[in-house]
Amino acid sequence: MKIITCCKIVPDEQEIQVLPGKELDLTKASWKISQYDLNAIEAAKKLSAEIPSTLTALSIGNSNALEGSKIRKDILSRGPDELSLVIDDTHHFSDSLETAGAIATALKNSDGFDLVLCGTGSGDLYSQEVGVQIGALLGIPTVNNVTNIKVKGNALEVERTLEDEIEILEVSIPAVLSVSSDINVPSVPAMKEIMRAGKKPVHILDIALTDAASSVEQLSQLVPEQQERRMEIIEGDNEEAVESLYQFLRKEIL
Amino acid sequence: MAVQSIFVITDKADALAELCYGARKLADQVTAVVFGDRPAAEKAAACGAQTIFYGPVESCRPEDYCKAIAEEVRKVPSALVLLNNSIRCRCIAGTLGAYLNTAVMTCVNEISPEGGRIVCKRTVYGGSAVRSQVFTGAYGVVTAGNGIFGDIDTVFPAADSIAEIPGKPECAVRLVARNEKKGGGANLAAAKRIVDVGRGLAAQEDLDMCRQLASLLGAELGCSRPVAENNKWMPIANYIGLTGVTVKPDLLFSMGVSGQVQHIAGINKSKVIVAVNKDKSAPIFKNADFGLVGDIYKVIPELIKKLS
Repeated sequence: MKIITCCKIVPDEQEIQVLPGKELDLTKASWKISQYDLNAIEAAKKLSAEIPSTLTALSIGNSNALEGSKIRKDILSRGPDELSLVIDDTHHFSDSLETAGAIATALKNSDGFDLVLCGTGSGDLYSQEVGVQIGALLGIPTVNNVTNIKVKGNALEVERTLEDEIEILEVSIPAVLSVSSDINVPSVPAMKEIMRAGKKPVHILDIALTDAASSVEQLSQLVPEQQERRMEIIEGDNEEAVESLYQFLRKEIL
Repeated sequence: MAVQSIFVITDKADALAELCYGARKLADQVTAVVFGDRPAAEKAAACGAQTIFYGPVESCRPEDYCKAIAEEVRKVPSALVLLNNSIRCRCIAGTLGAYLNTAVMTCVNEISPEGGRIVCKRTVYGGSAVRSQVFTGAYGVVTAGNGIFGDIDTVFPAADSIAEIPGKPECAVRLVARNEKKGGGANLAAAKRIVDVGRGLAAQEDLDMCRQLASLLGAELGCSRPVAENNKWMPIANYIGLTGVTVKPDLLFSMGVSGQVQHIAGINKSKVIVAVNKDKSAPIFKNADFGLVGDIYKVIPELIKKLS
């Protein structure tokens, strides 16, 4: 089976700085693989252990995110046999359709695939829509929040966990699945895999993405208003401290 | 009015009235799409929509109606599609978006008309920022976070028209079985009091003391993401945070929660936040009304005694 896992390279949100005007400064943040995409890579790795598969990771983004060899090796150390990149500085990839459209274009230009796996959402924008929109754009079956995947002959049996029920679905291939973040616990790459990653092929795809305008215009992006809190902090867990806590609770709610 | 027409689509009966109420404040014409048979649609007649379409789901899934719904939306020159933020509705939203040539803004916390446009706000970068956006095309698709339109204070007349969705469902995926989910989570989104457990808890058995405290306070039990996802001590449906449940109780009592930005994004609508954590520098204290720097294993049993 030919499996393509999509992974987004995002700024590490812990390293995002706040500018005086409440705007964000992303320039000092280092790049990392969007954490939810690690679940998709792991799911692909598990499938390839069950049936013979080729595993390609696909990432699309701006050059500052994708040029570094460290991030490329990081992706490849987690299981994919090869990495395909679409590097494009003319798009921001900041709305779900723009990103899905770019991925769909790359997939149409690929050597074919049976299964595309996405994480539940990206760590930065978390729209949770890119996988679904890729499927819809390509006109192939798509399922979100997948919690288990089994290969059954020429089709997949997919478990999808909703808020209050679980669906078991038969999905023909090719298909696009977005996996839930609790489908697995991504493994930490072993030293051997890290060493091997540097030797795996990286393909820079020369694909012209459409220059259609984004369907969304961003007006502002500001640090959220901090809720006013009283911040009455006391130290200690002795009788007296617990009594103060009890009195606070009593006053508030009891 | 900022848009002429809004299509409300829900897979949860209790979300319908709230979304239609919100939609009526934003648009003249509101069309609701519900999944089920005609009697179910008739029950929803006074939801606030002027037109109700229903799609029977005995032999297919709500997702199968996306093409048919998109066709209805395309009959008006511009429209906003508004859905509740469930997993199924996010699937419908994305598919509709692709058919209507638009991105989806998911889990929007605020929708307001400004200068003839509808401005949507949503949280990005793990809670670090709020992004304000507008759609630039003729159509837009939004999934709304819980309770963003406030309490319903209007009584609407019954819909003018209730009809089956004209288009036929298309089944791209076959439903093999539908199983009940075991250990469903508490309804944290609606809870008035919540005890919020973090990684400060050392063992799963210790949840008993948290449960006891919760029951004395008349509170539901929730947790931070690692407690549910890594430790698997509580159902995934019980984790609070940007990617989990967003809560807005009168009292949130956090125990051993450090207060990562994603978690704060899920609790910052709480009226009062009380925090106990032994790490004095834990960010939770900057977001607390009352904080106690101490060991939860000493504080909780003592507090249970006082509350009993």
